[in-house]
Formats: sequence, structure tokens, C-alpha cells
Amino acid sequence: MSSFDSELDAKGLNCPLPILRAKKAIAGLASGQTLKIEATDPGSVKDFEAFCKQTGNELVSSAEEGGNFIFFIKKS
Amino acid sequence: MVIVATEASTKRLSAPERRTSLITAAKTLFAAKGFHGVSIDEIVNSVGVSPAILYRHFKSKDELYDAVLQDFACQRESYVDTIVNSAADFETILRGITRVFIDSIVSQPDLLKIEMYSLLEGHESHSDFFLNRWKTFTDYIEFSLNELQSKGRLSNIDSKASALMYQGMLREVLLLKCLQPSEHLKDYTLQELLDKMISQFVNSLDLN
Repeated sequence: MSSFDSELDAKGLNCPLPILRAKKAIAGLASGQTLKIEATDPGSVKDFEAFCKQTGNELVSSAEEGGNFIFFIKKS
Repeated sequence: MVIVATEASTKRLSAPERRTSLITAAKTLFAAKGFHGVSIDEIVNSVGVSPAILYRHFKSKDELYDAVLQDFACQRESYVDTIVNSAADFETILRGITRVFIDSIVSQPDLLKIEMYSLLEGHESHSDFFLNRWKTFTDYIEFSLNELQSKGRLSNIDSKASALMYQGMLREVLLLKCLQPSEHLKDYTLQELLDKMISQFVNSLDLN
């Protein structure tokens, strides 16, 4: 997965900041567009799963790369 | 007779159940006496097993202590509901995440006691585990205030000091309402006190 429309750097931020910033970033996207998020908080994996479940946005992928957690979320 | 009955009943526990019973007993003892104040003998006596059984599950008291903290970590508060379902302004979110954190502390007062002991004992868990929990607030406040300043909505205050001030107020309220109930504050519920405290904190920022 490498295609995205907007990018959010949430590295070094603790919950709830990555979720809060993602919510704001997604609000600025059109339906069908994708946001890439990079985070370092291990709790963000569960948090983004819950976030997508609650908001109806699609968690396209969730992966760990070199200690960073990378998420791709497509706006519903 | 009592010991025999205890041993008979302990044999019925599976390995995971035994591990959980040791963690539960250790949690109560660490909360009452701190890490250094509790011996392995005390822990095994409270569960009714031999030290050998404890060492089958945990190599050392340190490892058992880590398992206790890990158990708390598994019940980590989720702020996702608060973020998804509330307005995105600074005060609303601050109130929301504070409520989630307080509910979590109230439901597991042992965690607050263990934190106090870890501070006094200088246990390394303090920075690894407890400071990380408080970072929820300090990071949120620091980041948000910097953002508000960059938008010209807040005068030039020190966001790091403000975040520390909030943490200090919150911790003091928890100590006085949960650990050492104060006669002076008996007319306020925990929630009332928090609501007033957050209002005063936000008012003092004088956001425009």
C-alpha cells in the first residue's frame, strides 16, 4: 500500500493525540480519499482499529516498520 | 486443616489460573507495602503455595512486579470514544479524557498506591509505566496549547509548565479523594471537585 492523499506524522505522540489529529485530518478529506498515519505509540494499533470501527472509515492496512506503526485509513 | 484445605484447592488451579492468583495477591501487597516492603514469602503465604510454585511462574520478584504492571496496562484506558464522540475543542476533550482516566483510577485504587510507592522507592517502573500514563495529559495539554498559541488564541504562556500544573492538580485531587479522604473537602464529590478544577484551569488560560 503506497497510495495516499494526505499524510499525518504522529510519531512521539501519546494517545489521545494521534486519534485526535487523525480525526481532524480525515475531516479535511473527501469520501474515498486515504490518510497515511505514522505513529510510535504501541497503543495506537488498538486505538485506530477502534477508531475506524466507530467512525465507519476503513482501516486499509496496519503495519509495523522499524518501530513505527503505519496506518492507511480510507474515508467512508 | 486450613493449610491442607488451601493446598487441596490450589492444586485444582490450572497454570494460568495460578499465575493470575499470584498477580492478584502481589497487586494487593505491593499496593499496601510497596515493592521493597513485600517479601516472596508473604506473597506465597497469602496464596497458600510454596515459593517453588511462584518461581515456576516468575523468575524473580522484579518479574512478578512487572507482571502486575502489565496486568494494569492491559486494562489501559481507551480515549477513542471520547475523541470520536465529542467536539474537538480543547476544554471538551480535556474534560473527557480526565473523566476516563479518573474512572479508571477509581476502579483500581491499587494502581494509585503502587505509583506512590514507586515514586518513593525510585523504582524504574516509574518512568517506564507511570510517567507514560500521565503523558496522556501532559502531551495533550502541551501540544494543544502550543497549537492555540500558533493560532493566536492564547497569550505567550509556558505550555510545559501548564501541563505540569494540571498533572499536579489532578494527582492531588486523586490523593485527597481516593487515598486519604480529607475532611476539608468532604462537601465535594470527586467529580464536582474535578469539574471546578478544570474550569479554573481553563479560565486561567484566558483563551480568546
